[in-house]
Order: sequence, then C-alpha cells, then structure tokens
Amino acid sequence: METLDQIGYGFAVALAPENLLFVFIGVLAGTIIGMLPGLGPMSAIALMIPIAFGMDPTTAMIMLAGVYYGAVFGGSTSSILLNAPGISGTVATSFDGYPMARRGKAGKALAIAAIASFAGGTVGVVLLMLIAPWLAKFAVSFGPADYFSLMILGLTAVVSLGGRNLTKGLIAAVVGVIISLIGIDSQTATMRFTFGVPELFEGVQFLIVALGVFALAEVFAMLARRGTGGGDGTITSLRLNRQEVGALTPPTARGSLLGFFVGVLPGAGATIASFMAYSTEKRIARDGATFGSGNIKGVAAPESANNAAAVGSFVPLLTLGVPGSGTTAILLGALLVLGIQPGPLMLSDHPDVFWGVVASMYVGNLVLLVLNLPLIPLFAKVLKTPRAVLLPLVVVFCVIGVYGLSFTVFDLWLLLGFGVLGYVMRQNGFPAAPLILGLILGGMMEKSMRQALQISDGAWSTFVTNPFSAGLLALGALALAGPLLARLRRRPSEPSGAAPPEEGSGGDDGGSQDGRGGEAGGAQRSASSAGDGHAGDGHEAAEGR
Amino acid sequence: MTPFGFSNRAAALVVGLFAVGYLVLAFRMPEFTAVEVPVQPSTLPRWLGVVLLLLAGLLFFQRGEPGEDGEQVPAAGASGTAGAEAAEGAEGRADAAEIAEGAQAGTAGGAVPAASLGRIPDARLELAAFAASIAAYILLFEPLGFLISSAAYVFGASWYLGYRRHWANALVSVGVPASLYFTMSEFLDVALPTGPLPF
Repeated sequence: METLDQIGYGFAVALAPENLLFVFIGVLAGTIIGMLPGLGPMSAIALMIPIAFGMDPTTAMIMLAGVYYGAVFGGSTSSILLNAPGISGTVATSFDGYPMARRGKAGKALAIAAIASFAGGTVGVVLLMLIAPWLAKFAVSFGPADYFSLMILGLTAVVSLGGRNLTKGLIAAVVGVIISLIGIDSQTATMRFTFGVPELFEGVQFLIVALGVFALAEVFAMLARRGTGGGDGTITSLRLNRQEVGALTPPTARGSLLGFFVGVLPGAGATIASFMAYSTEKRIARDGATFGSGNIKGVAAPESANNAAAVGSFVPLLTLGVPGSGTTAILLGALLVLGIQPGPLMLSDHPDVFWGVVASMYVGNLVLLVLNLPLIPLFAKVLKTPRAVLLPLVVVFCVIGVYGLSFTVFDLWLLLGFGVLGYVMRQNGFPAAPLILGLILGGMMEKSMRQALQISDGAWSTFVTNPFSAGLLALGALALAGPLLARLRRRPSEPSGAAPPEEGSGGDDGGSQDGRGGEAGGAQRSASSAGDGHAGDGHEAAEGR
Repeated sequence: MTPFGFSNRAAALVVGLFAVGYLVLAFRMPEFTAVEVPVQPSTLPRWLGVVLLLLAGLLFFQRGEPGEDGEQVPAAGASGTAGAEAAEGAEGRADAAEIAEGAQAGTAGGAVPAASLGRIPDARLELAAFAASIAAYILLFEPLGFLISSAAYVFGASWYLGYRRHWANALVSVGVPASLYFTMSEFLDVALPTGPLPF
C-alpha cells in the first residue's frame, strides 16, 4: 500500500492551487505553441524553460509536463485540420483525421483525438506508477540489434498497409532512408550526398519533408480538384454516440498499452508507437479497408498511442536519468537547471518532485480535455475559410515553419521540391507515409546497425541470433507476407509455399535484404495474379491520400 | 484525367535512373580508413541503391492496376472549361455588381461554386502556375521581408484563385502574416526577414 500512499501524496502536491494554476498555464501555452507550424513539444518546452527558472522545482516540472501534453495535442490539431503534421508523432493521426475533416467531421475527429489522448495519457500514468522500475530495467536490456529490428518492423508494417502496391510502398520507404542519409555522417564525418551545398551538411530536416509531402502536396491536390470535395467546416456534433464509443474503446485501449511500452524504449518512441498502433488497428479491424479514408479508429489508435508513449518516455528519464527522446532530454536539462538530478536516487531524495510530476501528468491530462473540448468548434473554423484564401495561407504556414527552423531560403526551395514530389507521388500511387517514416528512422537505423555490428565484430548474423531481434524481424517479414498470403488465399489454384521461408531467410542481412526477399516473392505472384488482389482495393484509392 | 499520372513503366524508369545515379555516387564515396569500422559510410547507401534498383525492376514489369493511381480531376475539356467559364461569368457578375453596389460584390463572388478554383482549364498548367507563384514568393521572401512578400503572395494568389471579396482578402493577407510575424518575432524570438520595413 506504500505506492498508494505515495500516489495520494503526489495528488496532494499536484492539486495545490498554485500547481493547478501552472498546469493550466502550461497546457494552454503548450497547445497554442504546438499548433504553430514547426514548433513541437521540444521547442515549446525550451521556450517555457526561462519562465520556469525562478520557480519551485516541483511547480516548474509540473508546468513543463503540462506544456509537453499541450504541445502534443496542438500538433494533432494541425494534422487533422490542414494535413500538416508539425511533429513526427502526429503523422499517423493525419491519415484518418484529415479525411474526416474533409468530410465535414473535423469536430468529431478533434474530439476523438482529445479523448483518445486523454485515455492514452491516463493509461500511461497508471502504468508509470505501477511498473516504472521494472520497465526501466527491461528497456536497458534492449540492445542495438533489437532497436534496428524494431525499426525494420515499424517500416515494413507501414509499407504493408500503406497502399495498393507493395513495391511502390517499399520504394517510398527506401527513398525516405536515402534522404535521411544526406549530410555529414555522424560516425565518420564523411560528407554524403551533400554536393558541396552547406545547407545540406546537417541533413534534411524532417519538418521540411513532412510539410512538403503532406501539406503542400495537399494544396496542389486541392487545386487540381478545383477545391471540391473538401470539408466545409460545418461542425457536426462533437458528441460520440454509444456505438462509436463502443467501437473506439478497444483500439484506444490497445493503442495506450502499445504506446506506453514502446514509449519506454529510448528513441522515436511516440512516432513508432503511433505508426504501430495505427497499423495494428488497420490489420485487425473488420473494416480495415476504410482506414485512410476517415475511419474514427484510425484517429483514436495513434492519438492514444502517442500520448501514452509521451508518458512512457518519462520512465527512463525519472528512474534512470537517461532521456529517451529529444523532448525528455530538454526536460532533463530543465531538471538539472533546477537543481535536481533525476535517476535511481530521485525517488528517495525528491519524492515530492517524482510523485508530484506523476500526479500532475494526470491532472494535466484532465485539464487538456476540459480546455480543448470547448475550443474545438473554434479550431475547426479554420476549414470554413474559403478555399481560394486557405490555399495560399497554408503555403505561408509551411514557409514560416520551415524558415523559422533553419533561416535559409534554400530550405524553402527544398520544401517546394518535396511538395511537387509529394504530389507526383500521390498521383502515381506511391504512399507518402513510408517515405516520411523512412526519413525519421533512417538515421537511427544506421546508428543501431553500426552499434550492433561493432558489438558483433561485423557479423551480420547478430540480427537473427539475438532472440528479440529475430522475433521482431520475423514479425516484419510477416507484415510483408501477410498481404501476399491473403492474395494467395483468394486464389487457391495458385501454387503456394515459397513466400514464407523466403521471407524468413531474407532476414540474415537485416532489413534491406529482408524487404527485398519479401518483395521478390510478391512480385512474381502479383504479376501472375495481377488485377485480382488489388482491384478490390480500388475504391479506397479513389479517396486519395 | 489524372494530372502527372504516369504508367508503372515510366515511373520505374525514373526510379531506376535515380537508383543508378545514386549507386554511382555511393560507390565513389571514399572509404573511411582512420579507424577500423565494420560499417563504412557507404555501406548502407550501396545496399539502398541496389535494393532500389531491384524494386524499380520489379515495378517495371508490373501492370498498372485500376485504382492504384492518384486522384482523378475533372477532365480538361469538359467540366474544367465549364468551371473556368463559371469563374468568368462570376467575374462579370461581380463587376456588374460592383458598379451597382460595392458591398454586394462580395456576396456575388461568394456565390461562385467552390469548384471554380483557378483559371486555367488544364489542371497541369494550373498546377505549374501555382508552383511558379510559390517559387516567386520564395524568391522575394528575403529581399522583401516576410510581411510584404507574404501579404502580396496571399492577396495575389487568393485573387487569382477566384476570391472576389477584395476588402476581406486585403484584410486577411495583411492581418494573418502580421499576426504570425509578431507572434514569432516578439513572443517566440524567431527572427523572420524584415525586408525594407523597420520592424
């Protein structure tokens, strides 16, 4: 019962009037900053640190945690309304959130996002309190080979669900990784594909590509449609009926659990978590085919996952003093400035901070819900803007986001380039999601691949001899084999067999091989059964994305 | 019509050519010899190039399947022209209304169906023109500063796309960039280019 006492103590700290006020301020500021183009939780927290300087450490941390939540939610707002994900963790939200907004259900999408975020955060906080120490130990035992395989799994899962054509999805993923490798190599300082352009030395920022292939490409598509088919901004009821609540509960619960456990692992926690939650739901849902064209579960799953992951990422920070993400790294910096060293001793040295922050996360979640639900009609008004004005404004929105990041006009040209690329890609059935995920994960993938090979003395077999890693790779292979098997089942006359073992052996040399092996099997089959498997999905394509 | 939609074969050729160029660069990359490393900086790029080339090969032999492409848009000949005509008609109406009563012009413009965005019937040319307008905006971004270039761009583009409430347009095209600008520069300390303006 000791834990319960401590939780009670935490709530007593969090509910002190002063702390309550600062949670409120933090969440509000976070939401507003998060909605601005290009400013995610990281910049939001960084901006608020000076304000937190003179404060009592507990109050300061409580406020900053509120900023974190608010910013994550603010990011999903622009994902849903403008298809402009400001941070990588909300990319998956735009897959179904934006189509919902286009159908005039922006209010409902935002409400689902708010509620699912709340649920994800709540589950995350409960789990954080119960199993933080145990999870921290597990996260430490996760080696580089396992990380590499986890990322491969994330990529293949997205590819297998991304579009009608597996080959095109894989091409997009590979190009995404290719883009991520531009710049000075972090390990050897070798220039890679920079063509002597100084602006490329530090690589291509995620935000440029995201705003280009999502927001700007959408602007082009809207123009080509002559502005038809958009949501008119009428706010349909925010309220969910009982049937919808019933449909949303399981995905939200699964997304929250998955999100928390992935979030505990250092790295791109919230991003991988949201993509994995999205693809899991798409796979197991009976109406999986409508994912991508405005399925409510497609909003709830990634939103609950990214919030739960945000909480999960506090586990390594608070228990080990090791930040698992850029955002928690900034929080670590803030803690150190405030004179607190997080880590195993924090629980005994500063129990008020630890439990106060944990409890305030919960309060912050509640404030977020209370604050945002009434504001949703206001946010959704964005869509009421006449198309002729909205289009140029979205362009300005993208431009300011990109320029504010790097202050170079060169990046604006990149933005335009990626906008054009994104439009041409969607016109030819190349999905954008694998591209963006490949870009986000590419750098980390190479890093963990190198670490793994350094440890194993260059033996590539390390990826399959390590049990975790092998399991994850097998899942990744399954993710690619799944659609092929489904196609086979529809064509029983087709000789079956070759695909699964081929998939498995492809794992030897890591993911690139793996993906190729899977695809080789797939292409032969799709060449022979062309038209059959894909034709069924045709109506989905007409929805665009 | 699917603007900028190509056959799988053409797309595969483009991807394949890109992969070959990428591979050439990847194989020209210097080896890192200062310290023994299991993974050279060029290792992953070479693999990626090979995989991309193989994928392009696969795509080349795949038949395009219905529904795989992007969005269809109104064909250039039929409704596209109709849309343009509607826009022109609306313009005429708006002019007439303006002569009659300035305030009414807004309503007349507002009544134009949303489908009449833009002026060029061919969607491809329209898209190219729009991309060119963004390019012009980027070119003028630093010389003119954020405020002037953005205001000019938003006003010009909205007007071109068919927004006829000019006063509202002027208000939005100055107001939104200005509020964005002051939020960014005063509150968040993000320095956007000022151009000739003193602030």
